[in-house]
Amino acid sequence: MIEVQNLCKSFGEVKAVDKVSFTAEDGKITGLLGPNGAGKSTTLRMLYTVFKPDSGTATVDGFDIQRDALKVKSSIGVLTHGAGIYERLSARENIRYYGQLHGLSGKSLDVRIDELAELLDMQDFIERRTKGFSQGQKTKVALARALIHSPKNVLLDEPTNGLDIMATRGLREVISRLKDAGHCVVFSSHIMQEVAALCDEIVIIAKGAIASKGSPEFLLQSTGKESLEDAFVKAVGSEEGLI
Amino acid sequence: MMSQTIDKKAGKLHGLWVIFKKEVIDNLRDRRTLTTLGLSIIISPLFIIGIQWFAEEKVKSETDPVTAKAFELPVIGAELAPNLMDWLAQNNITVVEPPSDPEASIRSGDRRVVMVIEESFVERFNSSKPAAVKLIHDSSISGLEKLGLRTVQRALRSYSSQIGSKRLQVRGVDPNVLNVIQINLSDVATPESKNTQILGIFPYLTIMMIMFGGMYLAIDSTAGEREKGSLESLLTLPVERSHILLAKLLATAFFSALTFFLTLTGLALALKYAPVDSIDIAITPQRLIYVFIACSPFVFVGSSMLILVASFTKSYKEAQSYLGFITMLPSMPLIFLAFLSPEPSTSNMWVPSFSQALIMIETLKGEPIAGSLVVLSAFCSIAIAIVLSFIAMKLYQRERILG
Repeated sequence: MIEVQNLCKSFGEVKAVDKVSFTAEDGKITGLLGPNGAGKSTTLRMLYTVFKPDSGTATVDGFDIQRDALKVKSSIGVLTHGAGIYERLSARENIRYYGQLHGLSGKSLDVRIDELAELLDMQDFIERRTKGFSQGQKTKVALARALIHSPKNVLLDEPTNGLDIMATRGLREVISRLKDAGHCVVFSSHIMQEVAALCDEIVIIAKGAIASKGSPEFLLQSTGKESLEDAFVKAVGSEEGLI
Repeated sequence: MMSQTIDKKAGKLHGLWVIFKKEVIDNLRDRRTLTTLGLSIIISPLFIIGIQWFAEEKVKSETDPVTAKAFELPVIGAELAPNLMDWLAQNNITVVEPPSDPEASIRSGDRRVVMVIEESFVERFNSSKPAAVKLIHDSSISGLEKLGLRTVQRALRSYSSQIGSKRLQVRGVDPNVLNVIQINLSDVATPESKNTQILGIFPYLTIMMIMFGGMYLAIDSTAGEREKGSLESLLTLPVERSHILLAKLLATAFFSALTFFLTLTGLALALKYAPVDSIDIAITPQRLIYVFIACSPFVFVGSSMLILVASFTKSYKEAQSYLGFITMLPSMPLIFLAFLSPEPSTSNMWVPSFSQALIMIETLKGEPIAGSLVVLSAFCSIAIAIVLSFIAMKLYQRERILG
């Protein structure tokens, strides 16, 4: 479970994230929706501890993102924006590297890699060096390495970026299965349909601040709109940057 | 949650070791690394032995009295001094017809030297006054091409002193009255230390190869990793950032050291088997290992310089242009060692790269440096490497590292 309270982060004059608070529960998918540059990535970067907030706090399974950064890192799996993998290593070696850095080793690690290869349908290319992989294949490797230590909490920053329709469908299925297995999933997106189709809880971010949040039903009610799309537009204030 | 307990058991340095191993394997699969390693064993020997072999062949072919080709000397007014012409012929100099414009033929490089016997030669020679002979040459030509001028000058000098002695004898004077001082040289140099050219260029090449050996890994594992977008993911793992940087630094040092070792081995083999008589240096296995150990602290200075610069560059290209310069930097001052031979002392043995160069030179000369100075060199180099690594670690903590 991830609890965020009043997170703030500025870069010089620009307030990238302004008093963002929300709670992402286990067994639920929480979507951060907002136009490009709204502060989604910065919020996630603070949660996965590579950025330090100027003020505010957040905890992951009760661990503070600043004081217990290493414990937070152990309990999250992260798919960063445009995640790169190592071209000269095979898919399996890429995933094993992350497993080892999480303290896994030996046969149990290889068994876990095989499980993920099956889950993500990557048996065909698991032993191949990743140079020349398609974007979909690369994303699968990056996702598998993020999940290698069976993290309770999964953070995905625009995971469907650059994926074709089939790969996107596959990814959505994986995200749903993570939810069913009781994981806490947070993902960011600027694609309304995607968020609408997957999320139990939606946090709409615009210009660094939360414009609205709640379940899809709640968003419809509170904005008085008939479709989620209209509700998003009303909450954000414009259609700019949304697809 | 099980992963956390395993992580703790594996110890603090577990992550460092995993990253180090990955960087080494990843880099070994990089063709550029393999090329660098391969070149390191070939290129320095080729350079050193090649130059020396070429020089030796040239000197042999031009000066050896038995095998050398006769030097062709155009002479203007040869008929004025038939005796001198005979003398030149005996000294392996063939007198040939002069060109119509001697200055132009020298300038164009057709001829190296043209001799002009002045009109007054016969008269002054007969009256025992200095008789003038002019040598037209170009002083801007370099190196071995000057051998011709020297050969001619030497022949003229010996002719001059021979005739002079005869003139004194005719007048009843012992020619030795002209030899006021007899200079006897006693040379204490070991045979090895006479190879000053090689000794001067040896550390220059070696230090450069040490830097070059770590360059690609330093770029790839910092600026390259950022550009490919894998750095951010790596930073989300439960490993201290300082350990990530340290692992990359050690992997860089590993390849620098490997290149260093291969360079030394290549040179040792070349010096042993190369067909060059004038080189009298032997790198015995003991000397090789001593030089490798005594100079290895520089590997850390070099690697930390590379990693430091690579950590604040934004892209692969930027890193490449900066590191190209950084790679040359430590070997630049060593160019002076080709002309100067400073004695190792506390005033110069604390300087990284310079002190290691002196260790190499003195060891190869067979005149080992005092142990305390070698320790000074190691201590200062490691201290500087620690400071540089510390700065790199601080830079690595910044959020801007993600670009």
